[in-house]
Amino acid sequence: MNFSLVFDSLPLLFQGLLMTLLLSVASMIGSTIVGLVAATLRTSRLPVGSQIARVYVEIFRGSPLLITLLVVYYGVAYAGYAMNVLVAAIIGISVYHGAYIAEIIRGGIEAVPHGQWEASRILGLSSTQTFTSVILPQTRKLVLPPLVGQYIALIKDTSLAFIIGLAELTRQGQSIVDRVGQPVLIYFLVAIIYFIICYPLSLWVQSLDRRRLA
Amino acid sequence: MSLQPQLDLEPRIRLVDVKKSFGQTVVLQGIDLHVMEGEVLVLIGASGSGKSTVLRIMAGLETADTGEVWVNSVPLHDPRRSKEIRGHVGMVFQQFNLFPHLTAQGNVTLALTKARKLSAVDAKQKALAVLERVGLADKATNYPSQLSGGQQQRVAIARALAVEPSIMFFDEVTSALDPELVGEVTGVMKSLAKEGMTMVVVTHEMAFAKQTADRVVFMDQGVIAEQGEPEQVLTNPQNDRTKQFLHRVLDV
Repeated sequence: MNFSLVFDSLPLLFQGLLMTLLLSVASMIGSTIVGLVAATLRTSRLPVGSQIARVYVEIFRGSPLLITLLVVYYGVAYAGYAMNVLVAAIIGISVYHGAYIAEIIRGGIEAVPHGQWEASRILGLSSTQTFTSVILPQTRKLVLPPLVGQYIALIKDTSLAFIIGLAELTRQGQSIVDRVGQPVLIYFLVAIIYFIICYPLSLWVQSLDRRRLA
Repeated sequence: MSLQPQLDLEPRIRLVDVKKSFGQTVVLQGIDLHVMEGEVLVLIGASGSGKSTVLRIMAGLETADTGEVWVNSVPLHDPRRSKEIRGHVGMVFQQFNLFPHLTAQGNVTLALTKARKLSAVDAKQKALAVLERVGLADKATNYPSQLSGGQQQRVAIARALAVEPSIMFFDEVTSALDPELVGEVTGVMKSLAKEGMTMVVVTHEMAFAKQTADRVVFMDQGVIAEQGEPEQVLTNPQNDRTKQFLHRVLDV
């Protein structure tokens, strides 16, 4: 093992790690908002809104993230706007993972017994009040484990942002390999860093699942 | 002569030729029914007779296919106005339908702060008062999962009472309870009846019907087969269907 090469590449990888973390956190927030809106529309009684949400989910579940990123990046460029690569990556990942998160949240919403809606309605709560104060809080336990699982997938998927040139962890690894070779060693290092980010989340999911089943 | 109290008042509830089907199944085939202020009406009948559907239509949870439904002078058959009833009647369900993520007190205060726009302090005061009324002031901070079935159902009654409803609907509220817990719930219902609350009760508790009802309505296959004072309907029924039903229920 070439220790000096490992050592020399650390600063670059660290920069990449910071970018990956930034992209991950921003996309988690973005995809959760998108997913929440889509799930709300999907379970609403608005026929048009519910159909739009359904089509949205089907489109993004049926197309690769890599293509989504390219379409967002070049689509905006062709429309005549210059877009920051990071922003393009956040948007692409958010709408893509938002589709999965929408389905997770929808499952949680639909698992709440219908009687909760009826009791709220008779008490005089509006649909919005019922949704935010009665239904959503009850979905937490059911939704959290698969949601965190989705976040893990999202973090790993941020590596695909290298295709549009974002200097995140994978891209930095690649640029080191381009200069000094040693692809196995460098990509192995990169993989370990992803693992270190994801493993605690994975442990958390397992403990959530145990608590849910307990 | 009508069996209803002779008051020169508009009935609290008036159903005129109400019909309802779910898909191909005809559930109600023409119901006419009045409930007067302060009256305790008990609906009995076999499952599938339509009694719960009548109750749910009165409470605004289902819409009649045809006919008129007036509750509190609100025309529930008019989709533009039916929402006006919300927050003005109370309903207690077989499955309690308490909010599991909120304490007993939280269950009561939610509608008070969100729908009635009461301050947190006023809502809490009101909640403690209604919980006291059902004998559960000491359980205010307990979550539903920490309460017995009978206690949960009493919290549900308190929650419904907190908005000061003019009518209370009870849909088989003791059916999910262990037999020894039935009494604490019917006890609260009896005291409400005594205080003059207008009540419509779907139940299988014949003892409750006999002691508390002003009028008993026996439903069968989507029609009112027989109605009258509890003494008469329950002990001296005229209709063969009523006789069979009571025989089955009381013999079990």
